[in-house]
Amino acid sequence: MSEARINGKPASLAAAAERAAAILSLARMPVVAGLGTDVAGARAAILLAEKLRGAYDHMHAARIFADLDVMRQAGLMFTTPNEARLRADVFLFIGKDLTKIWPDLLERLSPAEIPAYDLAREPRKLLWIVPGRGGGKVEGLAVQTLDSSDLHTALASLRARVAGKAVYGAKGTLRKLDEFADVLKNARFGVAVWGGDGLDSLSIEMLHGLILDLNKTTRFSGLPLGVGANAAGVVQTSGWMTGFPVRTSFGRGFPEHDTWRFEATRLIESGEADAALWISAYDGEAPPWKKNIPLVALTAPQTAFAREPQVCIEVGCPGVDHDAAEFSRETAAIVGRLASQPSHIPSVATIVGEIEKYLGGDA
Amino acid sequence: MLILLKGGRIVDPVNGRDEIGDLWIENDRIVAPPPGGVADEVHDVSGKIVMAGAIDIHSHIAGGNENIARLLLPELHRGEGPHPFSLPLATAKWSTFETGCRYAAMGFTTVIEPAVPPHQALQAHLELSDIPIIDKGTLTVLGNDDFLLSLIHDGEGPMAVADYVGSALAASNGLGVKCINAGGATAFKYNVRSFSLDDVVPFYELTSRKIVETLQRAIADLKVPHPVHLHCNNLGIPGNVSTAIATIAAAQGKPLHLAHLQFYAYGDEGGHGFSSGAAALAAAVNAAPNVTVDVGQVMFRQTVTISSDVLRQFNAVGTASPKKSVISDGDANGGGIVPYNYRENDFYNAVQWACGLELFLLVNDPWQVFFTTDHPNGAPFTTYPEIFALIMSRDARAEATARLPQEAVATTTLPSIAREYTFNEIAIMTRAAPAKLLGLKDRGHLGVGGLADIAVYSPGEDLAKMFRFAHLVFKDGDLVVRDGRVSHYRWGKTLKVNPGYDKAIDRRLAGYYDHHFGASRDLFAVKEHLLPRADAFSEVACAR
Repeated sequence: MSEARINGKPASLAAAAERAAAILSLARMPVVAGLGTDVAGARAAILLAEKLRGAYDHMHAARIFADLDVMRQAGLMFTTPNEARLRADVFLFIGKDLTKIWPDLLERLSPAEIPAYDLAREPRKLLWIVPGRGGGKVEGLAVQTLDSSDLHTALASLRARVAGKAVYGAKGTLRKLDEFADVLKNARFGVAVWGGDGLDSLSIEMLHGLILDLNKTTRFSGLPLGVGANAAGVVQTSGWMTGFPVRTSFGRGFPEHDTWRFEATRLIESGEADAALWISAYDGEAPPWKKNIPLVALTAPQTAFAREPQVCIEVGCPGVDHDAAEFSRETAAIVGRLASQPSHIPSVATIVGEIEKYLGGDA
Repeated sequence: MLILLKGGRIVDPVNGRDEIGDLWIENDRIVAPPPGGVADEVHDVSGKIVMAGAIDIHSHIAGGNENIARLLLPELHRGEGPHPFSLPLATAKWSTFETGCRYAAMGFTTVIEPAVPPHQALQAHLELSDIPIIDKGTLTVLGNDDFLLSLIHDGEGPMAVADYVGSALAASNGLGVKCINAGGATAFKYNVRSFSLDDVVPFYELTSRKIVETLQRAIADLKVPHPVHLHCNNLGIPGNVSTAIATIAAAQGKPLHLAHLQFYAYGDEGGHGFSSGAAALAAAVNAAPNVTVDVGQVMFRQTVTISSDVLRQFNAVGTASPKKSVISDGDANGGGIVPYNYRENDFYNAVQWACGLELFLLVNDPWQVFFTTDHPNGAPFTTYPEIFALIMSRDARAEATARLPQEAVATTTLPSIAREYTFNEIAIMTRAAPAKLLGLKDRGHLGVGGLADIAVYSPGEDLAKMFRFAHLVFKDGDLVVRDGRVSHYRWGKTLKVNPGYDKAIDRRLAGYYDHHFGASRDLFAVKEHLLPRADAFSEVACAR
């Protein structure tokens, strides 16, 4: 069964849920943060946030909005790992941490194999824009790398050369840029793969522009690797439930979305929020803020907190302790994940349901 | 619980009724007047019109593409303010919750999401689970999937195809099959930029015609009630009326549903190279009783086009307003989300608007033409009340037509059409015929034993108002709407078929997924226990 604590002392689940409900309903502006949970947990948490007239955010929102802000300002072209694996004749990797972000990346995309649905059935080409010399390596495939210590300039220069426009730089750099541009323009179905903190919105928007330009004559698409803790799944769930991604508030009685106003840490550090529900079911992360406000935590067992929460309830890991619907990077879709080690540790959705029982009608 | 709706005008074309009378409801069913029965609840509906709950056969209300559109366009659905009696998330514009409320308020009780790719099915069903009140159903998108194209290319025969289609329907919990620009999305991955009925998909060497024919055969073999629901080639292109007419001919008398036909009703005449071909197209439909169509009416306002016809959507990126689009080369079809603003003073948009109304009015048989805007592609479903008014009133049309560029109107036959839909015809088009087309015997009518999905309207001068705010709406006998306001949530079923097929194909598919995708097929299956409520589905029998 689940372990629950009130002010660091063991408590029954019922007592902990009751105390959590009291803390959250007494708050003038509670915030539901972290949201590292499956679809069912996100659903329950968003419904709870509405009841509480609070705001909600995800722990990886900064990374989410690096991609999402580009999409909603300029658009996006993307494909799936399946299509990339089966069709891509050219891969353009951007970023140094790709295989750290997704350890199965190379196994899943199989860049060293000939793509099954390519008409020419030639070995693939892999270009990697990565800081420093040396860069990424892939077994069984010669990788061409482009130093991107200044990623903005590297992407802008590459886009310019693809468009046939002049750029200034050292001879060697220009030659390398032209080699890259040539491979990209001659791709039949190219796929750009990006991820990690090294890419800001400006880089991603430039990349999007490059992909659009390439599609004037050939086919090219993108494969953003996103971020963990089911961030994409939570954003999707938030999308159909409220119309908006995370960083949305019900403070005025209807959903309002604002990436600055409703950032959980800012709300808390500024004193605008006066209680928090922190959810981290995947990795057992602790809240990132420093300010001491009443805290209810639903986290994986053994989560180490800087400061003991007023209420802490252990929750199971989606897809490990219990069956779950979650966004899967390997398929770029929400999938059903059966428990790999089924246990009786309750899910986030179950615990949120327990807390709601103590809220009463007009929380 | 026995409920009596007393003294209303009962419009029930299936049972040949258009008369003043009573309607009795017991629990979730319509029942015969009980001898000497005393109702627990009586609603005096004299002066009102009583119909079965409406059924929408084609409205994009759930799934990955729809949700990307929400996230792409936060500026289009900002909240308007708090509501004093709000139900959970009902103030969230364009949310699943609001969708159910808005449909129910208009008297719609069943809505079909027509484009669910098998690999996005779980998300679609999760979204549908959060649409309150109405029953739902999904059409599974096939026709650009590599496994199917391989089967056809390798000449494996109709049995293998039927088994595969049956398996895909079972895994995605679909009610039928949708085919979207058959082969076109796959061809686009090979950099093909236009794709018509007899063009060939590279790699597979198959025509669109062949793919559609094959799926029609499979649906017949599986005895799935709903015929193949086809999104034809060349959507939106001037002169594409010839494609639509050729597609009707290609069906060769076999059942086929053509979706949002308005988008294929274009000629290429006149100074703009764009004109209405709707009259010729309607004539082709009138001559082909095997074919049903829905309109996909355009209305003048900002909207967003959402389609799995990725080739067409890519070609439309330049028309995006606001200027941002999402194009996905997804598994099989993928799709595109392109925001668009239909403007009354735009020549092309005015022709499109008129083409839709011509199709409504020139297809003679209301059992053959269905009421849609291809939500949200032609317009959001919330414009339905205005469209009812347009097809029921020549005066309303004349008034609206007067505001358009007259050179656009001149390419159409619209001003010459006198027809006005009757309530009986509206009940056929939005109730009886959709139920028949989808194989739903328990709804679309007010006969004894039917599901007590009932809409009561207050007729008046303002036809749009009448349809916007139903006086009363019952779902499964539960009164959920009073004067357009939803009183409480209840949770409908998702309708699906479960055709029999040889399970050997599942083992073969498991191997195919492991080898080709390097991912288990089981990941994509819609497991009912992952949906928020138990008993989410209701099975529709396969057998014509």
